Amino acid sequence: MSSAAALPAPRARGAAAPALSPWGLAAPLGLAYAAFFAAPLFMLFAVSFYADEQMTRFGLDQWRRFLFDSFHWKVIADTLLLGLKAVAATVLLGFPLALVYRAASPRWQRVLLFVVIMPLLTSVVVRTFAWIVILGREGVVNQLVLGLGLAAEPLRLLQTELGLVISLTQIEMPLLLLPLLSVMSRIDPNLMDASASLGASPWRTLFRVILPLAAPGLAAGCLLVFASATTAFISQSVIGGGRLVYLPSMIWQQAMIAAHWPFAATAAIALLVSVSAVIAVIAYAGRVAGGRVHG
Amino acid sequence: MSPTLSRRALLAGTAALAAPLAARAQKPGSVTAAIYPGAWEEAFRDLVAPALKKSYNIELEMQALFAVDQVAKFAASRGAPPFDCFVLDPGPRATALERGMFEKFDASKLASRAAIPAALVDEWGIGCNAQVVGIAYNPKKLPKPKGYADLFKEPWVSRLGLTGFGTTFGTVSLIEIAKIFGGSETNIDPALAELKKVLPKIAAVSSPAALPGLFQQGQCDVTYTNTQTVTTLKDRGVDIEFAVPETGATTFLTTLHIAKGCENMDAAYKYIDTAVSKGVQDALQKPPYNFIPVNKEVALGKDLPMRSLDEMSKFVTHDWSKINPLRGQWIDRFNREMAK
Repeated sequence: MSSAAALPAPRARGAAAPALSPWGLAAPLGLAYAAFFAAPLFMLFAVSFYADEQMTRFGLDQWRRFLFDSFHWKVIADTLLLGLKAVAATVLLGFPLALVYRAASPRWQRVLLFVVIMPLLTSVVVRTFAWIVILGREGVVNQLVLGLGLAAEPLRLLQTELGLVISLTQIEMPLLLLPLLSVMSRIDPNLMDASASLGASPWRTLFRVILPLAAPGLAAGCLLVFASATTAFISQSVIGGGRLVYLPSMIWQQAMIAAHWPFAATAAIALLVSVSAVIAVIAYAGRVAGGRVHG
Repeated sequence: MSPTLSRRALLAGTAALAAPLAARAQKPGSVTAAIYPGAWEEAFRDLVAPALKKSYNIELEMQALFAVDQVAKFAASRGAPPFDCFVLDPGPRATALERGMFEKFDASKLASRAAIPAALVDEWGIGCNAQVVGIAYNPKKLPKPKGYADLFKEPWVSRLGLTGFGTTFGTVSLIEIAKIFGGSETNIDPALAELKKVLPKIAAVSSPAALPGLFQQGQCDVTYTNTQTVTTLKDRGVDIEFAVPETGATTFLTTLHIAKGCENMDAAYKYIDTAVSKGVQDALQKPPYNFIPVNKEVALGKDLPMRSLDEMSKFVTHDWSKINPLRGQWIDRFNREMAK
């Protein structure tokens, strides 16, 4: 899995080769980012400062409308909370799998890796619609529950936050596991033996040795899951339904249906800022936890 | 076996050889039309483009854009229209009309003019597809509802699937519900108040795109929708029937318009003429597209709630120039009232 090994070794060809600075090499991508990411982002900021729907004059009206309304704060909180729940669920289920992966033979590691990556090979739309079939009133879960006599009425799973978190856990799982597995597989097995021979219990080894060493990978995975779950427009609207309002669907409605671009831009920036803030906290926590070992 | 060459074969062969030359000599014109992405784009590529090429030797170029995007793109282009023709639902049509985005439309230039009901044509454009909106229900699980009022009673209410003001059909249905409870085209408060009362019982509040899937999976068994969705689901074997509410089915048109500043007027008229022609409209009515035709010469499908296009004049219609300014607030209201 080492990416460095895949790259051809740099070859010295003497003074004949033109000197290319790394900046020059990065310029095409840098320019593409500037043109297609930085510039639109700047325009998004600019649009949010239009006062009216027709975008004729500037003003802080949209920001006032957004910020001085408790409903919008509730939507932000719900969106961030959804991301945190998805992160918690993926970590709870994914971390044990990563431990299994670390202990497995190279052959089984390849099998596990394939199983982890497989969901990424189907589109997120397909995975989301599959969850309708699983969680629906006449879906697999309810047939099982009713068949076993565990409930008299079909459970309500679709259009609930629980159902949404369940489906997001499966949909986002590869994003947690890929960075986590790559860090896990680099942990020196001798450290575990050393910990055990010094008298630490397996749990103590897990919390004092493995977890801190895996922290950078875990933090990277959590970041990806959080960013992806909070902005998972399709899953949120299809599984969550109309009664669970999150920022992405609000932005879409305002931009595409109400054609109110300034307000949509304001909500989009609110999403960007709030998600980035949580991501910064997760990244910081990962660095602190990792630093305890590495520093 | 000696090769014989009849005069007819010789002529045919010569014609075949000459054909590419002839085609190059009279360079085909082209027209650029905005079209909704998805089923519409597919249908127009499969049916309208070949027909236009065959009848008038005009190439159809399509830009896949939702209605609001067409209006936005035209507004951004400032004078140089990005396409020759719009296709719009009534809401965006009213916006585009207000902002002067259309050329005047002269229906007498269409060869199919006589076959299109007068109500579907005006000085700005022509209907190319009608939508009829009413109630869809699962006849195996529920009795037929009489009207929108029934949706708020058992056994329907606990099987009801709802969508908000995001679509044209959702908006007009909620307006019709509001009217029953004392509201109007510009006052949807009574509908929201009644919905709020029964909200805990309702089976699903969904995005419009997800609703057919939810119906198919039995998550909800009654909803308001258009005949096109009902026919499409029925073709897939779903137990679904269309019911005309006692207050009447609602109808609205999808219309074609020529963009202001179009330099290709002749080709634009020919494109529109082809889109509403008998052959194309007949094919559009068939699965998988299930459009409601606008051409009187096309026999209407058996599942439609009317036997002739003239009957549609009795259906309920709405004034979108009044609805448009309110729709943004309504979407916002719906979010708030329905939110958990």
